[in-house]
Amino acid sequence: MPATISRRRFLGLTAAAGVAAALGLPLLRKEASSAEERPKARYALIIDTTKCTGCGACIEACRQRNKLPEGLSYIRRIVKGNERNPWFLMVQCQHCANPPCATVCPTHATYRREDGVVLIDPRLCVGCKYCMQACPYQARIFDEKRGVADKCWLCLPWVLGGGLPACVEACIPGARIFGRADDPQSEVAQLIASGRAKPLHPEFGTEPSILFYIMPEE
Amino acid sequence: MQTAWGWPIAIYLFLGGMGAGALLIAAAFEFSGKRYQYDFCPTALVGATVPGPLLILGTLLLIFDLGAGRREPWRILYMYTHFSSVMTWGVWLLTLFIPVALIYGFLEILDAFPATRQWLRSRRWLRWTAFLWNLPLRQTKRIFAGVGAVLAIGVATYTGILISAVGPAIPFWSTWVLPFIPIPMLPVLFLVSAISTGLGLTVDLAATLALGSVEQRLKSLPWIHLALIGAETLLLGMMLITALMAGGSAAKSAQEIIAGSYAIVFWFLIVLPGFIFPFVVHAYAIGLGRHSPVSGVGSGMGIVISGLFLRYLILISGIPAAL
Repeated sequence: MPATISRRRFLGLTAAAGVAAALGLPLLRKEASSAEERPKARYALIIDTTKCTGCGACIEACRQRNKLPEGLSYIRRIVKGNERNPWFLMVQCQHCANPPCATVCPTHATYRREDGVVLIDPRLCVGCKYCMQACPYQARIFDEKRGVADKCWLCLPWVLGGGLPACVEACIPGARIFGRADDPQSEVAQLIASGRAKPLHPEFGTEPSILFYIMPEE
Repeated sequence: MQTAWGWPIAIYLFLGGMGAGALLIAAAFEFSGKRYQYDFCPTALVGATVPGPLLILGTLLLIFDLGAGRREPWRILYMYTHFSSVMTWGVWLLTLFIPVALIYGFLEILDAFPATRQWLRSRRWLRWTAFLWNLPLRQTKRIFAGVGAVLAIGVATYTGILISAVGPAIPFWSTWVLPFIPIPMLPVLFLVSAISTGLGLTVDLAATLALGSVEQRLKSLPWIHLALIGAETLLLGMMLITALMAGGSAAKSAQEIIAGSYAIVFWFLIVLPGFIFPFVVHAYAIGLGRHSPVSGVGSGMGIVISGLFLRYLILISGIPAAL
C-alpha cells in the first residue's frame, strides 16, 4: 500500500511540476524580454509642403511597393493656393490617436497598434465602407479585388526592419522626413517640439499622431 | 459628393424606415383597439405582414453591397462584435426585428383569416408552427406588436444615427437640429419620415385599395397627414437652414439640394409628391369631408416615392469635408 501512495504522490508531483513548468516558462520568457526595456517606438512622418513640388513620385512609389492597381495609391494630391501660386497637400492615413475609422468599424478589422500605427486586418474586414465615410481625411481606398478597405500602413514591415516608407525614400525634393518622435535628438522630434510641424486639421478631433505638416507661411 | 454608398444603401434606408413605420401604425391600431372595430382591417394586416419581408429585402441589399462579406458571408458574423460601431447596433436591431415582425405578421394573418389555422393543420411540414397558433392568439400578438414597435423605433432611428455618426468627415449628415442644439437632425427626420411613409403605405395605399375609401375607418387621417407633413417640412427646413449657416461642405450640400445639381430630385421627386401633393389632397379632404379613392392612392404613392428619394438625396448629397 505505501508503495501505491508514494507512486500516486510521485505522479501527482510530476503532474504539478509539469503544469507549473507549462505556466511558468512563458512567464519567465516574458520577464527576460521585458528586461531589455526597449523604449516604445513612436514614429513621425513630416511632410514639408514648402518643399513639395507635387511631382507625385511618392504616389507612384507607394503604388508600386504596395502593388496597387494603376491609378490607385494610399497618397492623394490636393492642389491648394491660387493659380499663380499653387502648392500641394499630400494626404494619406494620418494614423490618428482617436481614429474614427476604428470606432465605426463594425468588426475589429481596423485597430491601432501600441506604437500608434493604425492597421486593417483584411481577414476581418467585411467591406461595408463605413470607415471610408468616417475618415475626415478621405485616406481610405477600396480594394475591389479582395473587397476590403485599404490604406497607408506606414510600410510597417520595412520600418520595423530599419527601412523607410516608400514615399519617404522616393521623395525627390526631400519634403518627407521620417523618424522616431520618441528620440528627442531626432529631426522629427525637434520639428514637432518647435511647433513648425503640426497635425493636419486638428479641429476634426481625431488627434493625428504620426503625420505632421509644415505649412506655407500665411 | 460621396461615392462609397449608392442606391442599394438608399433603398435599404427607405425599406427599413417604411417597414418600421408600417409596423408602428399596425401596433397603434392594435393598442388603440381600432384594429377590432371592424371585421377586416387592411391597415393592421399590411402593417404587420409587410415589414418582415421588406426588412429581409433591405438586409439582402446591404449584404449585396458588401465587399468581402458578400463573397465570404461568415464574415458578417464579425459585425455583431464591435459595439462602438452604430452598424453593429443596426445588425443587432435587424436580427431582432425581422423575426419579431415575421411572427407578428403570421399571428395577424391567423387573426384576420381563421381558415389559415385549418390550412396549417392540414400541412404536415408546417405542423411545427403549432406552438405559435396554439397560444392565446390576441395576447401573443399584442406582445409581438409591442416588442416590434419598440424595435421599429430603433430601426427607424438608428439609420439616421449611423449616417450622422461619421461626424466631421461628411458634415452635412451630422447637421444639428438648430445651430445651437448639438443633436443631429437626421435620426429625428428619419423617424418622422418612417412614420409618414408607413402611414402612406398602410392607410392611404393599402386601406384605400382594399376598401375603396378610408374615411369611415380613420376620420383623423387627413389631420395626421397634415401634422406629419408640417413636422417634416419644419425638420427638413431647419436642417437645410442649419447646414447653410454652418458653412463649409455642409452648406455646399444644402446649396446643391436647394438650387444645385440635386434641385430637380429635391423639388420634383421629394417636395412635390411627398409634401405639396398630399398636403393639397388631405387639406381638400378636410374641407370637403371626404376622400376619393384616386386621391388616397395618389397621396400614398407620392409619400412613398418621396420617402425613397429623400433617403437617396441625403445619402448622395453628402460632401466630404474639404482639406
